[in-house]
Amino acid sequence: MSEEQIMEKIVGLVSDRFDIPADQITANTNFKDNLDADSIDLVEFTLELEDEFGNEISDEDAEKIKTVGEAVAYINSNQ
Amino acid sequence: MKIAVDAMGGDNAPQVVIEGVEKARDQYDDLEFTLYGKTEEINKYLKDTKNITIVHSDEVILGTDEPVKAIRSKKQSSMVMAAKSVKDGENDAVFSLGNTGALLAAGIFVVGRIKKVDRPALMSTLPVANENDGVLYLDSGANASAKANYLEQWATMSVFYAKEIKGIDNPTVALLNNGEEYDKGDDMHKDAYQLLSNLENINFVGNIESNEILTGKVDIIVTDGFTGNAALKAIEGTSKIIMGQLKKALTENGIVTKLGAAIVSPSLNGLREMFDTSKSGGAVLLGLKAPVVKAHGNADARAVYYTIGQIRDMLDKKIVEQVNDYYND
Repeated sequence: MSEEQIMEKIVGLVSDRFDIPADQITANTNFKDNLDADSIDLVEFTLELEDEFGNEISDEDAEKIKTVGEAVAYINSNQ
Repeated sequence: MKIAVDAMGGDNAPQVVIEGVEKARDQYDDLEFTLYGKTEEINKYLKDTKNITIVHSDEVILGTDEPVKAIRSKKQSSMVMAAKSVKDGENDAVFSLGNTGALLAAGIFVVGRIKKVDRPALMSTLPVANENDGVLYLDSGANASAKANYLEQWATMSVFYAKEIKGIDNPTVALLNNGEEYDKGDDMHKDAYQLLSNLENINFVGNIESNEILTGKVDIIVTDGFTGNAALKAIEGTSKIIMGQLKKALTENGIVTKLGAAIVSPSLNGLREMFDTSKSGGAVLLGLKAPVVKAHGNADARAVYYTIGQIRDMLDKKIVEQVNDYYND
């Protein structure tokens, strides 16, 4: 899957989960600062990424993902 | 109606779980059960496999396990497998006597929240001192920190439950606070008071103080999980000490006191009956995409049986669907 395709999928997931229009989401969108995500939101989103892309994300790696762009980069380098 | 049962959760599992499930199976023809757990352990106690399927699981989530880590790392545990089966549409509800925090995590992360419900709450039914059938009390500890709009949602969801399951036409709802006046409490409680006052579909009667929780004055009490849990533990601790002291006073002070104890014994049994929580069912995680219900870790087979009856009622009355329609239609 190309990086663009991953970005498109992740934007869809973020838009749905955080109830925000897809065109307002960029690579710099920060889960905590821009989407008001708390720890439960972040774990739920990590599990959703695992379901969508089929690979397990360790707790240590999940903690490092702070923006949409970082999520895309993580999935892209671990596929 | 299909119920996924975590057969390995609880202090006396799987024995009491299986005894309770078999009693419920014998009572209700429309229930099917899948027991998740160690097959050889389950087979030791299971007498009849009618309407019961066993799915083997190798792992068990312990009471000491850290909840989120446990559900992420123990995917072959009885609790996570039961929750996953509901997520995958194989079963309609999850029942466990196991680790409360882990069940909460499995509920949120595996079964999932109803869209637009911010946080699920743990709702218990507490015994009361009047003729009413208990008080619905939420959140009894799922969310240590809460926002005012969470309490608004919990009040709304619990009203559905009170109407459908307990048959109360217009249930009264109160906010647990440190005084009855509207301006009592911290900012969150003041905001919650305003939000609850503005809700048209609930019968909000204002603040209630913790000394009135068990009076039966209202049908539903909403609170944040921190306050809810602290107050609940205070009640449990106080009643345990009083009952212990009472027993001691009636049995350790000579023949006259013992005779007196024998005379008041029927009344004391009535008191015990009044505060018997087995019939009240389990604690419900309200706000999830399917009923997820927790019975006490040391529950007996009778409590398991009553909790299964409660889950059956929730499925039959389509509580989850009603809440979902309310928020998403």
